[in-house]
Amino acid sequence: MVGLSAGEKHFIQGGIAQDLRADGRKRLTYRPIYVETGVIPQADGSAKVKMGATEVIASVKLDLARPNPSQPGKGKVSLFVSCSATAGPMFEGRGSEELSTELSVALQRCLLGGKSGAGAAFDPSCLSIVDGKLCWDAYIDGLVVSADGNLLDALGAAIKAALTNTRVPVANVPAGASLDEDPDVDLSSQETTRIDTSGVPVIVTLTKVGRHYIVDATSEEESQMSSAVSVSINKERRICGLTKRGGAGLDPSIILDMISVASHVSEQLMNKLDSEIAAAEADEQDI
Amino acid sequence: MRGIQLSLNQTQRLRLQTALELLETLSSKASLNASVTVADNIPVNYEDGVLKYKPEIGDIIVGRVIEVAPKRWRLEINFIQDAVLMLSSMTLPDGIQRRRTAVDELNMRSIFEEIDVVCAEVRGFQHDGSLHLQARSQKYGKLERGQLLTIPPYLVKRRKQHFHHLEQYGVDLIIGCNGFIWVGEHVEAKDDMVVDDQVNKSEQHSSKSRNWTSLEEQEQTHTPAETRQNICRIANAIRVLSTLGFNVTLDVIMETVYLSSSLNLEIHEMLGAEFCVLVAESEAERRSSSAKRKG
Repeated sequence: MVGLSAGEKHFIQGGIAQDLRADGRKRLTYRPIYVETGVIPQADGSAKVKMGATEVIASVKLDLARPNPSQPGKGKVSLFVSCSATAGPMFEGRGSEELSTELSVALQRCLLGGKSGAGAAFDPSCLSIVDGKLCWDAYIDGLVVSADGNLLDALGAAIKAALTNTRVPVANVPAGASLDEDPDVDLSSQETTRIDTSGVPVIVTLTKVGRHYIVDATSEEESQMSSAVSVSINKERRICGLTKRGGAGLDPSIILDMISVASHVSEQLMNKLDSEIAAAEADEQDI
Repeated sequence: MRGIQLSLNQTQRLRLQTALELLETLSSKASLNASVTVADNIPVNYEDGVLKYKPEIGDIIVGRVIEVAPKRWRLEINFIQDAVLMLSSMTLPDGIQRRRTAVDELNMRSIFEEIDVVCAEVRGFQHDGSLHLQARSQKYGKLERGQLLTIPPYLVKRRKQHFHHLEQYGVDLIIGCNGFIWVGEHVEAKDDMVVDDQVNKSEQHSSKSRNWTSLEEQEQTHTPAETRQNICRIANAIRVLSTLGFNVTLDVIMETVYLSSSLNLEIHEMLGAEFCVLVAESEAERRSSSAKRKG
Protein backbone atom coordinates (compact mmCIF):
# COMPACT_ATOMS: atom_id res chain seq x y z
CA MET A 1 0.00 0.00 0.00
CA VAL A 2 1.38 3.36 -1.01
CA GLY A 3 1.92 5.85 1.75
CA LEU A 4 -0.09 9.01 2.26
CA SER A 5 1.34 12.49 2.04
CA ALA A 6 1.23 14.76 5.07
CA GLY A 7 -1.59 16.77 3.50
CA GLU A 8 -3.72 13.69 2.88
CA LYS A 9 -3.10 12.38 6.39
CA HIS A 10 -4.15 15.74 7.78
CA PHE A 11 -7.30 15.62 5.67
CA ILE A 12 -8.23 12.17 6.97
CA GLN A 13 -7.61 13.12 10.60
CA GLY A 14 -9.62 16.31 10.12
CA GLY A 15 -12.48 14.36 8.63
CA ILE A 16 -12.60 11.98 11.54
CA ALA A 17 -12.50 14.87 14.00
CA GLN A 18 -15.39 16.56 12.17
CA ASP A 19 -17.46 13.36 11.88
CA LEU A 20 -17.28 13.38 8.08
CA ARG A 21 -14.91 10.78 6.69
CA ALA A 22 -13.39 10.72 3.21
CA ASP A 23 -16.31 8.79 1.73
CA GLY A 24 -18.94 10.81 3.56
CA ARG A 25 -19.59 8.33 6.37
CA LYS A 26 -20.04 9.32 9.98
CA ARG A 27 -17.69 7.89 12.58
CA LEU A 28 -20.00 5.04 13.52
CA THR A 29 -21.38 4.18 10.06
CA TYR A 30 -20.49 0.91 8.36
CA ARG A 31 -19.89 0.61 4.63
CA PRO A 32 -22.59 -1.24 2.68
CA ILE A 33 -22.33 -4.92 3.64
CA TYR A 34 -22.93 -7.53 0.98
CA VAL A 35 -23.41 -11.18 1.94
CA GLU A 36 -23.57 -14.15 -0.40
CA THR A 37 -23.85 -17.72 0.89
CA GLY A 38 -23.08 -21.05 -0.70
CA VAL A 39 -20.22 -19.68 -2.80
CA ILE A 40 -18.17 -22.89 -2.43
CA PRO A 41 -20.43 -25.80 -3.38
CA GLN A 42 -17.93 -28.49 -2.32
CA ALA A 43 -17.81 -27.16 1.24
CA ASP A 44 -20.46 -27.96 3.79
CA GLY A 45 -21.05 -24.27 4.39
CA SER A 46 -19.57 -21.12 2.88
CA ALA A 47 -20.14 -17.40 2.59
CA LYS A 48 -18.62 -14.33 0.98
CA VAL A 49 -18.81 -10.93 2.65
CA LYS A 50 -17.94 -7.60 1.04
CA MET A 51 -17.58 -4.36 3.00
CA GLY A 52 -16.65 -1.73 0.46
CA ALA A 53 -13.45 -2.97 -1.17
CA THR A 54 -12.72 -5.52 1.59
CA GLU A 55 -13.73 -9.00 0.45
CA VAL A 56 -13.44 -12.17 2.52
CA ILE A 57 -14.64 -15.75 2.09
CA ALA A 58 -15.29 -18.26 4.88
CA SER A 59 -15.88 -21.97 4.48
CA VAL A 60 -16.84 -24.78 6.85
CA LYS A 61 -15.78 -28.33 6.10
CA LEU A 62 -16.92 -31.31 8.18
CA ASP A 63 -14.93 -34.53 8.59
CA LEU A 64 -15.69 -37.65 10.55
CA ALA A 65 -13.39 -38.09 13.52
CA ARG A 66 -13.04 -39.38 17.02
CA PRO A 67 -14.02 -36.91 19.74
CA ASN A 68 -11.65 -35.63 22.38
CA PRO A 69 -11.63 -38.05 25.35
CA SER A 70 -12.14 -35.16 27.75
CA GLN A 71 -15.25 -34.03 25.87
CA PRO A 72 -16.88 -37.16 24.51
CA GLY A 73 -20.20 -35.55 23.66
CA LYS A 74 -18.88 -32.75 21.52
CA GLY A 75 -17.29 -32.29 18.13
CA LYS A 76 -14.06 -30.39 17.60
CA VAL A 77 -13.80 -27.02 15.91
CA SER A 78 -10.68 -25.47 14.47
CA LEU A 79 -10.33 -22.11 12.82
CA PHE A 80 -7.66 -20.72 10.55
CA VAL A 81 -7.36 -17.62 8.38
CA SER A 82 -5.09 -17.07 5.38
CA CYS A 83 -4.56 -14.08 3.10
CA SER A 84 -4.67 -14.58 -0.65
CA ALA A 85 -1.83 -13.09 -2.66
CA THR A 86 -4.48 -11.30 -4.74
CA ALA A 87 -5.13 -9.02 -1.79
CA GLY A 88 -1.95 -7.12 -2.45
CA PRO A 89 1.76 -7.42 -3.25
CA MET A 90 2.67 -7.47 0.45
CA PHE A 91 0.73 -10.72 0.83
CA GLU A 92 2.82 -12.68 -1.62
CA GLY A 93 4.82 -15.61 -0.37
CA ARG A 94 5.29 -15.46 3.38
CA GLY A 95 4.34 -11.82 3.71
CA SER A 96 0.90 -12.60 5.03
CA GLU A 97 1.97 -14.99 7.80
CA GLU A 98 2.01 -12.42 10.58
CA LEU A 99 -1.34 -10.97 9.65
CA SER A 100 -2.90 -14.43 9.19
CA THR A 101 -1.74 -15.57 12.61
CA GLU A 102 -2.99 -12.39 14.24
CA LEU A 103 -6.42 -12.72 12.63
CA SER A 104 -6.66 -16.45 13.39
CA VAL A 105 -5.82 -16.00 17.07
CA ALA A 106 -8.24 -13.08 17.47
CA LEU A 107 -11.07 -15.03 15.82
CA GLN A 108 -10.35 -18.16 17.83
CA ARG A 109 -10.54 -16.16 21.00
CA CYS A 110 -13.82 -14.58 19.99
CA LEU A 111 -15.57 -17.60 18.55
CA LEU A 112 -14.20 -20.81 19.99
CA GLY A 113 -14.51 -20.23 23.72
CA GLY A 114 -12.37 -21.71 26.46
CA LYS A 115 -10.95 -25.19 27.01
CA SER A 116 -14.07 -26.40 28.73
CA GLY A 117 -16.12 -25.31 25.75
CA ALA A 118 -17.79 -22.49 27.62
CA GLY A 119 -18.42 -19.31 25.69
CA ALA A 120 -18.19 -20.90 22.28
CA ALA A 121 -20.09 -19.37 19.39
CA PHE A 122 -22.24 -22.44 18.91
CA ASP A 123 -22.71 -25.61 20.89
CA PRO A 124 -20.32 -28.27 19.57
CA SER A 125 -22.52 -31.06 20.89
CA CYS A 126 -24.60 -30.64 17.74
CA LEU A 127 -21.60 -32.12 15.93
CA SER A 128 -21.59 -35.32 17.95
CA ILE A 129 -22.80 -38.52 16.27
CA VAL A 130 -22.09 -41.28 18.78
CA ASP A 131 -21.13 -40.20 22.24
CA GLY A 132 -17.46 -40.84 22.87
CA LYS A 133 -16.87 -42.66 19.58
CA LEU A 134 -17.78 -40.58 16.55
CA CYS A 135 -18.23 -36.92 15.86
CA TRP A 136 -17.81 -34.28 13.19
CA ASP A 137 -14.69 -32.17 13.12
CA ALA A 138 -15.47 -28.69 11.84
CA TYR A 139 -12.70 -26.89 10.00
CA ILE A 140 -13.52 -23.23 9.58
CA ASP A 141 -11.30 -21.50 7.03
CA GLY A 142 -11.20 -17.80 6.30
CA LEU A 143 -9.65 -16.28 3.20
CA VAL A 144 -8.92 -12.61 2.67
CA VAL A 145 -9.42 -11.92 -1.04
CA SER A 146 -9.12 -8.16 -1.01
CA ALA A 147 -8.00 -6.02 1.90
CA ASP A 148 -9.26 -2.48 2.43
CA GLY A 149 -9.35 -2.33 6.20
CA ASN A 150 -11.56 -3.87 8.88
CA LEU A 151 -10.63 -7.47 8.11
CA LEU A 152 -11.63 -8.78 11.53
CA ASP A 153 -15.23 -7.57 11.35
CA ALA A 154 -15.62 -8.88 7.81
CA LEU A 155 -14.19 -12.29 8.75
CA GLY A 156 -16.44 -12.48 11.81
CA ALA A 157 -19.46 -11.74 9.64
CA ALA A 158 -18.39 -14.25 6.99
CA ILE A 159 -17.88 -17.02 9.54
CA LYS A 160 -21.29 -16.31 11.06
CA ALA A 161 -22.88 -16.52 7.60
CA ALA A 162 -20.93 -19.66 6.70
CA LEU A 163 -22.03 -21.39 9.90
CA THR A 164 -25.65 -20.45 9.19
CA ASN A 165 -25.22 -21.87 5.69
CA THR A 166 -23.68 -25.15 6.94
CA ARG A 167 -25.67 -28.32 6.40
CA VAL A 168 -24.51 -31.11 8.72
CA PRO A 169 -25.16 -34.46 7.04
CA VAL A 170 -27.18 -36.93 9.10
CA ALA A 171 -25.02 -39.96 9.72
CA ASN A 172 -26.65 -43.33 10.30
CA VAL A 173 -24.48 -45.74 12.20
CA PRO A 174 -25.76 -49.35 12.01
CA ALA A 175 -26.60 -50.61 15.49
CA GLY A 176 -24.13 -52.97 17.04
CA ALA A 177 -21.34 -52.05 14.67
CA SER A 178 -17.91 -52.01 16.24
CA LEU A 179 -16.80 -48.43 16.50
CA ASP A 180 -13.24 -49.02 17.61
CA GLU A 181 -12.03 -49.52 14.07
CA ASP A 182 -13.29 -47.57 11.08
CA PRO A 183 -17.05 -48.05 11.16
CA ASP A 184 -19.31 -48.15 8.17
CA VAL A 185 -21.13 -44.91 8.51
CA ASP A 186 -24.10 -44.46 6.25
CA LEU A 187 -24.16 -40.95 4.80
CA SER A 188 -26.41 -41.73 1.90
CA SER A 189 -29.49 -40.07 3.34
CA GLN A 190 -29.88 -36.58 1.89
CA GLU A 191 -31.04 -35.22 5.19
CA THR A 192 -29.08 -32.48 6.84
CA THR A 193 -29.37 -30.58 10.07
CA ARG A 194 -28.50 -26.98 10.73
CA ILE A 195 -26.28 -25.46 13.35
CA ASP A 196 -27.93 -23.08 15.76
CA THR A 197 -26.07 -19.84 15.14
CA SER A 198 -28.25 -17.52 17.21
CA GLY A 199 -25.48 -17.32 19.79
CA VAL A 200 -22.70 -16.46 17.33
CA PRO A 201 -21.31 -13.05 18.22
CA VAL A 202 -20.45 -10.21 15.85
CA ILE A 203 -17.09 -8.51 16.00
CA VAL A 204 -16.95 -4.71 16.15
CA THR A 205 -13.55 -3.07 15.72
CA LEU A 206 -13.11 0.46 16.99
CA THR A 207 -10.11 2.29 15.59
CA LYS A 208 -8.80 5.24 17.55
CA VAL A 209 -7.53 8.14 15.44
CA GLY A 210 -6.59 11.22 17.42
CA ARG A 211 -9.28 11.68 20.03
CA HIS A 212 -12.10 9.86 18.28
CA TYR A 213 -13.10 6.29 17.48
CA ILE A 214 -14.32 5.11 14.11
CA VAL A 215 -15.96 1.92 13.04
CA ASP A 216 -15.16 0.04 9.81
CA ALA A 217 -11.92 1.83 8.95
CA THR A 218 -10.54 1.70 5.41
CA SER A 219 -6.87 0.81 5.07
CA GLU A 220 -6.04 4.52 4.61
CA GLU A 221 -7.74 5.33 7.91
CA GLU A 222 -6.10 2.33 9.60
CA SER A 223 -2.69 3.69 8.65
CA GLN A 224 -3.49 6.71 10.85
CA MET A 225 -4.63 4.78 13.89
CA SER A 226 -2.98 4.93 17.26
CA SER A 227 -4.68 1.78 18.51
CA ALA A 228 -7.68 -0.44 17.79
CA VAL A 229 -9.93 -2.45 20.07
CA SER A 230 -11.99 -5.33 18.68
CA VAL A 231 -14.92 -6.49 20.79
CA SER A 232 -17.04 -9.50 19.99
CA ILE A 233 -20.56 -9.17 21.34
CA ASN A 234 -23.49 -11.57 21.13
CA LYS A 235 -27.24 -11.00 21.02
CA GLU A 236 -27.49 -10.67 24.79
CA ARG A 237 -25.02 -7.78 24.64
CA ARG A 238 -22.41 -9.91 26.39
CA ILE A 239 -18.75 -9.69 25.54
CA CYS A 240 -17.34 -12.91 24.12
CA GLY A 241 -13.85 -11.71 23.28
CA LEU A 242 -11.62 -8.67 23.35
CA THR A 243 -8.46 -7.83 21.38
CA LYS A 244 -6.35 -4.70 21.37
CA ARG A 245 -3.93 -3.85 18.56
CA GLY A 246 -1.62 -0.95 17.99
CA GLY A 247 1.39 0.46 19.74
CA ALA A 248 -0.14 3.30 21.73
CA GLY A 249 -1.18 2.69 25.31
CA LEU A 250 -4.76 3.36 26.35
CA ASP A 251 -6.17 4.70 29.57
CA PRO A 252 -8.50 2.13 31.20
CA SER A 253 -11.41 4.57 31.12
CA ILE A 254 -10.99 4.90 27.36
CA ILE A 255 -11.11 1.15 26.92
CA LEU A 256 -14.33 0.98 28.92
CA ASP A 257 -15.75 3.79 26.83
CA MET A 258 -14.80 2.00 23.61
CA ILE A 259 -16.44 -1.18 24.85
CA SER A 260 -19.70 0.62 25.54
CA VAL A 261 -19.62 2.31 22.11
CA ALA A 262 -18.91 -1.05 20.48
CA SER A 263 -21.78 -2.64 22.38
CA HIS A 264 -24.10 0.09 21.14
CA VAL A 265 -22.96 -0.32 17.52
CA SER A 266 -23.13 -4.12 17.69
CA GLU A 267 -26.91 -4.10 17.95
CA GLN A 268 -27.37 -2.42 14.57
CA LEU A 269 -24.65 -4.58 13.02
CA MET A 270 -26.21 -7.76 14.38
CA ASN A 271 -29.64 -6.86 12.97
CA LYS A 272 -28.17 -5.85 9.62
CA LEU A 273 -26.12 -9.03 9.37
CA ASP A 274 -29.01 -11.27 10.36
CA SER A 275 -31.25 -9.75 7.70
CA GLU A 276 -28.51 -9.91 5.04
CA ILE A 277 -27.72 -13.54 5.87
CA ALA A 278 -31.41 -14.47 5.78
CA ALA A 279 -31.78 -12.73 2.41
CA ALA A 280 -28.68 -14.48 1.06
CA GLU A 281 -29.95 -17.87 2.20
CA ALA A 282 -33.33 -17.20 0.60
CA ASP A 283 -31.61 -16.15 -2.64
CA GLU A 284 -29.54 -19.30 -2.60
CA GLN A 285 -32.58 -21.49 -2.24
CA ASP A 286 -34.27 -19.75 -5.16
CA ILE A 287 -31.37 -20.45 -7.49
CA MET B 1 -22.05 -4.65 -17.79
CA ARG B 2 -18.46 -5.55 -17.15
CA GLY B 3 -19.08 -7.29 -13.83
CA ILE B 4 -19.99 -4.23 -11.82
CA GLN B 5 -19.08 -4.88 -8.21
CA LEU B 6 -22.37 -3.94 -6.59
CA SER B 7 -24.94 -5.80 -4.62
CA LEU B 8 -28.13 -5.05 -6.54
CA ASN B 9 -31.46 -6.64 -5.98
CA GLN B 10 -33.52 -7.90 -8.91
CA THR B 11 -35.37 -4.68 -9.73
CA GLN B 12 -32.20 -2.61 -9.47
CA ARG B 13 -30.37 -5.02 -11.76
CA LEU B 14 -33.11 -4.74 -14.37
CA ARG B 15 -33.19 -0.96 -14.19
CA LEU B 16 -29.43 -0.74 -14.52
CA GLN B 17 -29.42 -3.08 -17.49
CA THR B 18 -32.12 -1.06 -19.27
CA ALA B 19 -30.27 2.18 -18.67
CA LEU B 20 -26.95 0.80 -19.91
CA GLU B 21 -28.56 -0.74 -22.98
CA LEU B 22 -30.18 2.58 -23.81
CA LEU B 23 -26.82 4.30 -23.52
CA GLU B 24 -25.21 1.77 -25.82
CA THR B 25 -27.83 2.23 -28.53
CA LEU B 26 -27.48 6.01 -28.24
CA SER B 27 -23.74 5.92 -28.66
CA SER B 28 -23.99 3.71 -31.72
CA LYS B 29 -26.60 6.02 -33.26
CA ALA B 30 -24.23 8.94 -32.80
CA SER B 31 -21.82 7.45 -35.32
CA LEU B 32 -23.98 7.85 -38.45
CA ASN B 33 -23.74 5.39 -41.28
CA ALA B 34 -21.64 3.08 -39.21
CA SER B 35 -22.84 -0.22 -37.92
CA VAL B 36 -20.89 -2.59 -35.78
CA THR B 37 -21.67 -6.25 -35.50
CA VAL B 38 -20.03 -8.18 -32.72
CA ALA B 39 -18.49 -11.18 -34.43
CA ASP B 40 -16.42 -12.59 -31.64
CA ASN B 41 -15.63 -11.87 -28.01
CA ILE B 42 -11.94 -11.89 -27.16
CA PRO B 43 -11.31 -11.86 -23.42
CA VAL B 44 -8.94 -9.05 -22.58
CA ASN B 45 -7.03 -8.75 -19.36
CA TYR B 46 -7.86 -5.23 -18.25
CA GLU B 47 -4.68 -4.93 -16.23
CA ASP B 48 -2.47 -5.04 -19.33
CA GLY B 49 -1.28 -2.21 -21.54
CA VAL B 50 -4.39 -2.30 -23.71
CA LEU B 51 -6.26 0.12 -21.49
CA LYS B 52 -3.36 1.80 -19.72
CA TYR B 53 -2.69 5.49 -19.67
CA LYS B 54 -1.43 6.73 -23.08
CA PRO B 55 0.50 9.93 -22.45
CA GLU B 56 0.69 12.87 -24.84
CA ILE B 57 2.71 16.06 -24.65
CA GLY B 58 0.80 18.77 -22.82
CA ASP B 59 -1.24 16.39 -20.67
CA ILE B 60 -1.97 17.54 -17.16
CA ILE B 61 -1.27 14.74 -14.72
CA VAL B 62 -1.28 14.17 -10.99
CA GLY B 63 1.39 11.95 -9.51
CA ARG B 64 2.98 10.83 -6.27
CA VAL B 65 6.68 11.34 -5.50
CA ILE B 66 8.42 8.04 -4.88
CA GLU B 67 12.05 9.12 -4.94
CA VAL B 68 14.13 12.26 -4.50
CA ALA B 69 17.14 11.75 -6.80
CA PRO B 70 20.04 14.09 -7.72
CA LYS B 71 18.50 17.13 -9.45
CA ARG B 72 15.15 15.38 -10.09
CA TRP B 73 12.10 13.81 -8.53
CA ARG B 74 10.68 10.49 -9.65
CA LEU B 75 6.88 10.28 -9.69
CA GLU B 76 4.49 7.39 -9.89
CA ILE B 77 1.74 8.20 -12.37
CA ASN B 78 -0.26 5.04 -13.11
CA PHE B 79 1.92 4.32 -16.12
CA ILE B 80 4.26 1.41 -16.87
CA GLN B 81 7.25 3.60 -16.06
CA ASP B 82 7.79 6.31 -13.50
CA ALA B 83 7.94 9.91 -14.66
CA VAL B 84 10.78 12.31 -14.00
CA LEU B 85 10.43 15.92 -12.89
CA MET B 86 13.73 17.75 -13.22
CA LEU B 87 14.66 20.39 -10.68
CA SER B 88 15.23 22.75 -13.60
CA SER B 89 11.65 22.20 -14.81
CA MET B 90 10.21 23.31 -11.51
CA THR B 91 9.63 26.92 -10.46
CA LEU B 92 11.65 27.75 -7.42
CA PRO B 93 9.84 29.02 -4.33
CA ASP B 94 11.27 32.48 -4.79
CA GLY B 95 9.99 32.61 -8.35
CA ILE B 96 13.22 34.00 -9.79
CA GLN B 97 14.46 32.47 -13.03
CA ARG B 98 18.02 31.50 -12.30
CA ARG B 99 20.45 28.61 -12.53
CA ARG B 100 19.89 25.94 -9.94
CA THR B 101 22.80 25.90 -7.51
CA ALA B 102 24.06 23.18 -5.23
CA VAL B 103 22.11 24.77 -2.38
CA ASP B 104 18.91 24.37 -4.41
CA GLU B 105 19.74 20.72 -4.90
CA LEU B 106 20.19 20.21 -1.18
CA ASN B 107 16.87 21.94 -0.51
CA MET B 108 14.86 19.76 -2.89
CA ARG B 109 13.07 18.12 0.01
CA SER B 110 11.70 21.47 1.14
CA ILE B 111 9.82 21.64 -2.17
CA PHE B 112 8.64 18.05 -2.57
CA GLU B 113 9.27 15.08 -0.34
CA GLU B 114 8.58 11.37 -0.77
CA ILE B 115 4.87 10.45 -1.03
CA ASP B 116 3.82 14.03 -1.70
CA VAL B 117 1.07 14.46 -4.28
CA VAL B 118 2.13 16.69 -7.16
CA CYS B 119 0.41 18.18 -10.20
CA ALA B 120 2.47 18.69 -13.37
CA GLU B 121 2.38 18.76 -17.15
CA VAL B 122 3.92 16.33 -19.62
CA ARG B 123 6.81 17.99 -21.36
CA GLY B 124 8.12 15.15 -23.48
CA PHE B 125 9.43 11.63 -23.61
CA GLN B 126 12.85 10.50 -22.57
CA HIS B 127 14.88 8.20 -24.77
CA ASP B 128 13.89 5.16 -22.70
CA GLY B 129 10.18 5.88 -23.03
CA SER B 130 9.61 7.36 -19.59
CA LEU B 131 7.95 10.74 -19.22
CA HIS B 132 9.52 14.11 -18.66
CA LEU B 133 7.41 16.51 -16.64
CA GLN B 134 7.39 20.21 -15.95
CA ALA B 135 5.76 22.34 -13.32
CA ARG B 136 6.67 25.82 -14.44
CA SER B 137 3.53 27.79 -13.70
CA GLN B 138 2.08 28.63 -10.31
CA LYS B 139 -0.93 26.42 -10.73
CA TYR B 140 1.20 23.26 -10.66
CA GLY B 141 2.88 21.96 -7.56
CA LYS B 142 2.20 20.18 -4.32
CA LEU B 143 -1.38 19.24 -3.48
CA GLU B 144 -2.49 19.16 0.12
CA ARG B 145 -5.76 19.47 2.04
CA GLY B 146 -7.78 17.02 0.04
CA GLN B 147 -8.00 13.50 -1.24
CA LEU B 148 -6.62 11.63 -4.24
CA LEU B 149 -8.84 9.26 -6.21
CA THR B 150 -7.77 6.65 -8.73
CA ILE B 151 -9.95 5.76 -11.70
CA PRO B 152 -9.15 3.86 -14.92
CA PRO B 153 -7.27 6.28 -17.22
CA TYR B 154 -9.47 5.64 -20.27
CA LEU B 155 -12.39 7.31 -18.50
CA VAL B 156 -10.66 10.69 -18.69
CA LYS B 157 -11.02 12.44 -22.02
CA ARG B 158 -8.63 15.20 -23.06
CA ARG B 159 -10.28 18.57 -22.77
CA LYS B 160 -9.15 22.18 -22.90
CA GLN B 161 -9.26 22.51 -19.14
CA HIS B 162 -8.33 20.05 -16.46
CA PHE B 163 -8.09 22.43 -13.54
CA HIS B 164 -11.48 23.34 -12.19
CA HIS B 165 -11.99 25.82 -9.41
CA LEU B 166 -15.54 25.25 -8.25
CA GLU B 167 -16.31 28.58 -6.65
CA GLN B 168 -19.70 27.80 -5.23
CA TYR B 169 -18.19 24.86 -3.36
CA GLY B 170 -14.76 26.32 -2.60
CA VAL B 171 -13.20 23.19 -4.04
CA ASP B 172 -10.31 22.58 -6.41
CA LEU B 173 -10.85 19.70 -8.82
CA ILE B 174 -7.92 18.49 -10.95
CA ILE B 175 -8.73 15.73 -13.44
CA GLY B 176 -5.39 14.17 -14.33
CA CYS B 177 -5.23 12.48 -17.74
CA ASN B 178 -3.54 9.51 -16.06
CA GLY B 179 -6.61 8.65 -14.01
CA PHE B 180 -5.52 10.31 -10.77
CA ILE B 181 -8.07 12.88 -9.68
CA TRP B 182 -7.48 15.40 -6.92
CA VAL B 183 -10.41 16.84 -4.97
CA GLY B 184 -9.41 19.34 -2.36
CA GLU B 185 -9.93 22.60 -0.60
CA HIS B 186 -9.31 25.61 -2.79
CA VAL B 187 -5.82 27.04 -2.45
CA GLU B 188 -4.97 30.42 -3.93
CA ALA B 189 -2.05 30.28 -6.35
CA LYS B 190 0.89 31.71 -4.49
CA ASP B 191 2.25 35.06 -5.65
CA ASP B 192 5.97 35.62 -6.11
CA MET B 193 7.51 36.16 -2.73
CA VAL B 194 10.71 37.58 -1.37
CA VAL B 195 13.32 34.93 -0.62
CA ASP B 196 13.47 35.64 3.13
CA ASP B 197 9.72 35.39 3.63
CA GLN B 198 9.57 32.13 1.74
CA VAL B 199 12.44 30.62 3.69
CA ASN B 200 10.76 31.52 6.97
CA LYS B 201 7.45 30.14 5.75
CA SER B 202 8.97 26.89 4.58
CA GLU B 203 10.78 26.50 7.90
CA GLN B 204 7.54 27.02 9.81
CA HIS B 205 5.72 24.69 7.50
CA SER B 206 8.26 21.90 7.82
CA SER B 207 8.44 22.19 11.60
CA LYS B 208 4.66 22.12 11.78
CA SER B 209 4.37 19.06 9.65
CA ARG B 210 7.03 17.25 11.59
CA ASN B 211 5.89 17.70 15.17
CA TRP B 212 2.29 18.66 15.73
CA THR B 213 2.45 20.13 19.20
CA SER B 214 -1.16 19.79 20.23
CA LEU B 215 -4.45 18.50 18.90
CA GLU B 216 -6.06 21.94 19.27
CA GLU B 217 -3.52 23.46 16.92
CA GLN B 218 -4.27 20.77 14.36
CA GLU B 219 -7.99 21.29 14.69
CA GLN B 220 -7.67 24.99 14.00
CA THR B 221 -6.06 24.34 10.64
CA HIS B 222 -8.57 21.70 9.55
CA THR B 223 -10.74 22.15 6.49
CA PRO B 224 -14.04 23.84 7.34
CA ALA B 225 -16.99 21.46 7.63
CA GLU B 226 -18.98 22.89 4.72
CA THR B 227 -16.06 22.60 2.27
CA ARG B 228 -15.36 19.11 3.54
CA GLN B 229 -18.93 18.06 2.78
CA ASN B 230 -18.59 19.37 -0.75
CA ILE B 231 -15.26 17.59 -1.20
CA CYS B 232 -16.77 14.29 -0.03
CA ARG B 233 -19.83 14.68 -2.24
CA ILE B 234 -17.75 15.36 -5.33
CA ALA B 235 -15.37 12.50 -4.49
CA ASN B 236 -18.27 10.07 -4.10
CA ALA B 237 -19.76 11.27 -7.39
CA ILE B 238 -16.47 10.43 -9.11
CA ARG B 239 -16.39 7.01 -7.40
CA VAL B 240 -19.91 6.17 -8.63
CA LEU B 241 -19.11 7.27 -12.19
CA SER B 242 -15.95 5.19 -12.15
CA THR B 243 -17.86 2.11 -10.95
CA LEU B 244 -20.37 2.56 -13.76
CA GLY B 245 -17.62 3.08 -16.33
CA PHE B 246 -18.82 6.49 -17.48
CA ASN B 247 -16.47 9.15 -18.81
CA VAL B 248 -15.51 11.52 -16.02
CA THR B 249 -15.90 15.12 -17.11
CA LEU B 250 -16.82 18.20 -15.13
CA ASP B 251 -20.41 18.27 -16.48
CA VAL B 252 -21.17 14.71 -15.53
CA ILE B 253 -19.65 15.16 -12.08
CA MET B 254 -21.72 18.29 -11.46
CA GLU B 255 -24.89 16.57 -12.70
CA THR B 256 -24.28 13.72 -10.28
CA VAL B 257 -23.65 16.11 -7.40
CA TYR B 258 -26.88 18.05 -8.16
CA LEU B 259 -28.77 14.78 -8.36
CA SER B 260 -27.56 13.68 -4.95
CA SER B 261 -28.29 17.03 -3.30
CA SER B 262 -31.71 17.27 -4.91
CA LEU B 263 -32.58 13.86 -3.56
CA ASN B 264 -31.31 14.95 -0.13
CA LEU B 265 -29.16 11.87 0.11
CA GLU B 266 -26.66 11.45 2.91
CA ILE B 267 -23.19 11.65 1.42
CA HIS B 268 -22.27 8.06 2.25
CA GLU B 269 -25.49 6.82 0.66
CA MET B 270 -24.08 7.93 -2.68
CA LEU B 271 -21.98 4.80 -2.68
CA GLY B 272 -25.00 2.52 -2.28
CA ALA B 273 -26.62 0.48 -5.02
CA GLU B 274 -29.73 2.64 -5.35
CA PHE B 275 -27.91 5.85 -6.17
CA CYS B 276 -25.70 4.03 -8.68
CA VAL B 277 -28.77 2.88 -10.60
CA LEU B 278 -30.26 6.39 -10.42
CA VAL B 279 -27.11 7.93 -11.88
CA ALA B 280 -27.16 5.46 -14.77
CA GLU B 281 -30.82 6.21 -15.45
CA SER B 282 -30.42 9.97 -15.30
CA GLU B 283 -27.40 9.84 -17.62
CA ALA B 284 -29.35 7.73 -20.11
CA GLU B 285 -32.21 10.24 -19.94
CA ARG B 286 -29.90 13.19 -20.39
CA ARG B 287 -28.21 11.73 -23.44
CA SER B 288 -31.41 10.57 -25.06
CA SER B 289 -32.98 14.02 -24.64
CA SER B 290 -29.90 15.73 -26.10
CA ALA B 291 -29.87 13.23 -28.99
CA LYS B 292 -33.55 14.01 -29.66
CA ARG B 293 -32.78 17.71 -29.71
CA LYS B 294 -30.03 17.22 -32.28
CA GLY B 295 -31.82 14.68 -34.45
